[in-house]
Parts: sequence; structure tokens; C-alpha cells
Amino acid sequence: MLDVNKIREDFSVLNRRGSYIPIYFDSACMSLKPDQVVKVMDDYYKEGFACVGRSAHRSGVQATKKVKEVRGIVAKFINAKNENEIIFTRNTTESINLFANSVGLSKGDIVLITDKEHNSNLIPWLFLRDKIGIIVKIIPCNGDGTFSIDNFSEMISGAKIVSVVHTSNLDGVTNPIKEISQIAHKNGALIFVDGAQGMAHKKIDVRDLDIDFLAFSGHKMLGPTGTGVLYGKASLLEKLTPFMVGGNTVSNSTYTNYEFLGVPDKFEAGLQDYAGILGLGEAIKYLNNLDWEEIEEHELKLNTYLTEELKKISKIKIIGPENGAERSSVVNFYIEGVDMNKIAIMLDEMANVEVRSGRHCVHSWFEDKKIYNSLRVSFSIYNTMEEAEIFITNLNKIMKIL
Amino acid sequence: MPCVIALIIFGIIGIFSASHRDLAKEAFSCVFKRITLRPCDTGFKEKIKGKVLSKIINRSTFLARMVNRHYEVLSWVFFVLMIGSTFWVFSGVYKFYVYGSCNGLNQSGFCAFDPSGENNKVTTLGDNSTCGITPATESSLTLKGVDLSSFVRKTNIGKDEVVVIGCYACDYSRKVYPDILKLIENKKANYTFASYPAKGDTTFLAEAGYCVNKIYGEKYWEFNKYLLEGEKDFILDKSNLNKILEIFNFDIKKVNECSNSTEVKTIVENQAKELKKTNIYGTPTIFINGKAFVGPKPYRVYRSAMNKYIFF
Repeated sequence: MLDVNKIREDFSVLNRRGSYIPIYFDSACMSLKPDQVVKVMDDYYKEGFACVGRSAHRSGVQATKKVKEVRGIVAKFINAKNENEIIFTRNTTESINLFANSVGLSKGDIVLITDKEHNSNLIPWLFLRDKIGIIVKIIPCNGDGTFSIDNFSEMISGAKIVSVVHTSNLDGVTNPIKEISQIAHKNGALIFVDGAQGMAHKKIDVRDLDIDFLAFSGHKMLGPTGTGVLYGKASLLEKLTPFMVGGNTVSNSTYTNYEFLGVPDKFEAGLQDYAGILGLGEAIKYLNNLDWEEIEEHELKLNTYLTEELKKISKIKIIGPENGAERSSVVNFYIEGVDMNKIAIMLDEMANVEVRSGRHCVHSWFEDKKIYNSLRVSFSIYNTMEEAEIFITNLNKIMKIL
Repeated sequence: MPCVIALIIFGIIGIFSASHRDLAKEAFSCVFKRITLRPCDTGFKEKIKGKVLSKIINRSTFLARMVNRHYEVLSWVFFVLMIGSTFWVFSGVYKFYVYGSCNGLNQSGFCAFDPSGENNKVTTLGDNSTCGITPATESSLTLKGVDLSSFVRKTNIGKDEVVVIGCYACDYSRKVYPDILKLIENKKANYTFASYPAKGDTTFLAEAGYCVNKIYGEKYWEFNKYLLEGEKDFILDKSNLNKILEIFNFDIKKVNECSNSTEVKTIVENQAKELKKTNIYGTPTIFINGKAFVGPKPYRVYRSAMNKYIFF
């Protein structure tokens, strides 16, 4: 069983004596950071920082070595073949934009996405549709938000790219990536996975799932903000043309010409957030020290409790499957005619419960379903059952005045 | 409506508090959208509502439910109250500036800017009159039908007319006198001083003053100034009158003969009768171009009364 109390000791924000301690239920937006992550970043700046891959002095060599280590840690974390399949970016959105603009799409190419993609996996494609004339097709999910293999199978023909979310930040549903990947490959399409939401909650094995490209962010998986990753199969990465170019992407240049470096360097233009990258490496180490089964068991327990309690409140409508076990670490719900921002503010003011209200960057889904907004409770390894109970108690209090 | 209230409140608080400035900006954005016929989609209203309800709900669920249900109506009520109280405050500030009292000209009700009511204190008339009594009633003070020809009048180049009804024995008349002199000097106003024995017997000073003016003309004003600014107990002691006359090198015998004449006593007596026609109820009462100011007002009040546009 996950030792939550021990885990909580690693998060300073949860141990501030005599001051405001949040009941943090907004991990789907951004997770808290353990002290180990903060320390590594702090050490980078305090104990000798330098440019990576450029300077020959000892600090430069040391920094280069550390970043290379992290590249290896990330590769191992998702079971990539080698570290050169890992490209550091600022976040998932940048990774998706990098991929979308580098993969060489042209007019008439078809890209398939689901009907509940985060804006970061919707807008880049719509933008390319308007810019170069690609065709973006939306795969409708089942009524309960689960992925429809039938709909997908009907639409896959002719598609060049299938770009789908791994675990939805809207309802927590994890898509059957392995099956999707098989169908996509069978039909000659590339499979791109937005893994931002699922990385800290479920083990992702890119080789087992046969994913061509995977994007994720550090900030949702205990890591620092400003860090992201684009994974790509080496053979496919070689075919991509760089999206952003400049410093550290070329081996040589003249006034009239340039020569790109190999993968991954040619995709990492300019100086990177090295402190952040080291922090990301430490976050992965932290997750690696935990048992994935225990993480899932812990989150299932919290989700089941919250789901059952919310079902007792007649006005509340949960987004996604009724069964909490199918919604990972997310419980998203709304009340007809009520602006959920108000509820979120009240929970914060009443009991320091921090939840997310709004449209969670999935505006398209809300527009389509004609739902104004919702309130999302998303938890992680540091949340306790007591916190969930406080949330329910205060929500019930609020429900009495609506 | 809550946005309008929030804009006003946070706008004012935001002047002093940076943390409230953002709320003011949000409120402005909301109001701006509404007046440009767009929906307020900033979420500001719900934000404020949530904060308000969360404070109430821990005290009373019932009250929180009522506030939640009737939030818009309550907002309107508070808005109207706020507009009313704002108007009330501005009106009070204006009246205080112009009349020396938040409640209006010669009104003695409580005023936050003058809590002790200093600007409205007068010496009431009557046998047992005392300095510092606040008048309980209002009268129609007027100079119409009052014959002031027997009082000493200083003619100046200005068009304004100032008539001061004061009492040599009263602290408030004495208090206001320097301001009156300053006013006359600055505004070059025509000026009449009328002595009214509101407290104790100061008729002998009025009689002496009348005679000084009759005999020495302009020197009267120096004499009158001394009577109102000099040491009070010394001046009010009848036996010291000759000493006072001596200070100004007046002919004591001549002034005394004049003062003791039946003619002068009758004139001074008639002066008091004339002053009563003004409906005076206390001193000092200062008429500026016919408008009465009762009590020792701040200098700005008299100046404003003469200014064409209040401030200038």
C-alpha cells in the first residue's frame, strides 16, 4: 500500500507549519513538486551551472553529462530504445507543435483526433488545416466518454496521422492505445500520443504500446514547469525536418549555408532549461522509486470514494464513465445552471480545497455538449482519504444553499 | 450590478492597496463589457459571489441560501444604498466646506468633520445666556427692515457687504473677529460692526464705541479691535474704561460725557431693538450680502460666501 504520509513529508508545501496548507486537488493541471526535485534545480544554480554541449570547461562538461544522464533516465522511463529518441521541449504543447510542423504534412493529408482532445492536441491541427489545407477528422467517443474502436475503425482509412490523448484530462479515461496503434499502423498511419495527463499515474511503455511519437510535460508528473519531452522512434525522427532552428542545431554554418546536427540536437534550438531538465530527471527517479500498482490502487480508492459520494447528490452529473475505476485520477462534474467557478472559490475559501473549475482547455467538448463549465477534482500520490472527505463535507454544505 | 459595486469599492480600496487593484481591473473589464452590450464572461461576478457566500455559509446555511438566491436583488439594494450614502457624504463635505456644518447652514446636528460642533456654537440671548450653548431652534435671520444707519460702517472699494453682530463678552464673537478682519482686508468689503450685549452688561462699551466713532471717526476701528481682542476681564470691568480710552489718547472726559448723554443711551438702546428685528438668537451672527452665518465659522466659509464660484 502506498505510504502517503511518508510521501507527503517530501512536499514542503504540505508541511508548512502555521500557514496555509492547501488540500490540493488540481494535479491534472499541475502536480506538486517534491523537495528532491527542487533541490536538484537549486543545486544546479548554486553549485556550478554552465551551457550544455558547448563549453569545454569542467562545469560545462559536468552539466552536459548530467543532462545526458536525464535523457537516458527519460528514455528508460518510457522504455525507448535509446536516449537519442528523447527531445527536450518546454511542454507537451511545444512537443505537439514540433511534431505537427515537422512531420511534413501537405494539403489533403488526413489527421484523426478524438472529440475530447486538450487544446494542445486540437489547435495545432486546426491551425495547419487553415494554413496548408490538411483535413482534421474528429473521432466521436462513446456516450460515456470511452474510446470508440468502431468509430475509429470506420474513419482510419486514408489517415496519415492518428493523434490521440493517452489519458484524458477531461474525464480521466485512458484510451486503448495499444489497440489504436495496431489499427493505425495496419492502415499506414502514424500514431502520436498526448501523454501529458497519464505519465504520473500509469506506466507507459512506448515499445509495448508501439507508439510512434509521444509527448508529455514535466509539470504534471512532479517535475518543474517549462519542461517537456517529445519521444519519437529513431527512424521516424530522422525523417522530421526541424521546426525551430538556430543555436546548437547545426554543426557548422557559413553566410550562405548550414549543416544540421543529428537527432535530437537539431530539434533543440537555443539554450535549454537545464535546471528544469535536471528536475525532470529527479521527478522520474522519484516516481521510479514508487510501485505503479500501488499508485493505481491508491488513486482507485480515492476515485471510488469520491464517485460514490458524488452519486448521492442528485443534482451532480459526472463527466465520463460512472465507474470511478475507469477515470484514473480525475473526477469531473457539473451542475445544470450553476457556474462551477463559484463552487471552486467557495471550496477554497471554506476549507483550502483547491480544485479546477472551467473548461479545462477542452472548450470544444463543452461547446459541443452545451455545458457551461465543470469542476474537476484531480489527485495524485500525495492526496489522502481525509482530504477527500473534507472535500465531500464542504461540497455537501454548499449544495444545501444552491 | 455586483460588478458596478465592486468597481467602485475596489477602485477606491485599490488606490491604497495593490492587492485590490487587480480586482478593480477585473470589475472594470466586466462593467465595460456590459456597457458595450457584451456578456460579462470574466467570471468576476461568480468569484465575488463565491467569496461572499463562503464567509456566510459557516455562520448560517439559511442566510447563505437566501443571499445566493437573491444575490442580484441584494446587489441592487446595496447599490442604491451606496449611491445614497455617497451622495449624502459628498453633500456633507460640500456643506461642511461652504457652511462649516455637514448638515447645512447654521445647522447644529452632529457633523463628523466638526464633532464638537465648534463651528456652530453661539452665545444665546437672554438674561442667563452662556457662551458655548448650541442653538436648539432655527430662525429666519434677515436684515430686511433693520435700520443699521446708526452703526459704524466702514466703506471699502468692494461690493460685498458684511454685517457682524457680536458681543464683546462672548468668546465666540472674539474668536471669529480676526477672521472677519482678514476677510474685510482681503475682499475689500464694506463692513458694519454691531455690538449686541448677549452676555452680561456690555452696553457701556457700545456707548463708548459710538462716541469714539462720533468724535474720532476711523480711530473707532482700532478701539473696537482692542475691545474684541484685548484681555477680556480687564475690558469688561467698567472701571477700566477710562484706562482703555487713555491707551488710545482719547479725551476721557469728552467720551464719557458723550456716553452718558441721554441721546447716546437712547441710540444704543434703539440699536439693540433694531438688531432684534433680525431674529438673532445668538452671537456672533454674521451677515454676508444678507446671508446669515451663526457661530464662529472657519474663514473659508466666509470667503466662499463672497467668492463667485465658491472656491474662487
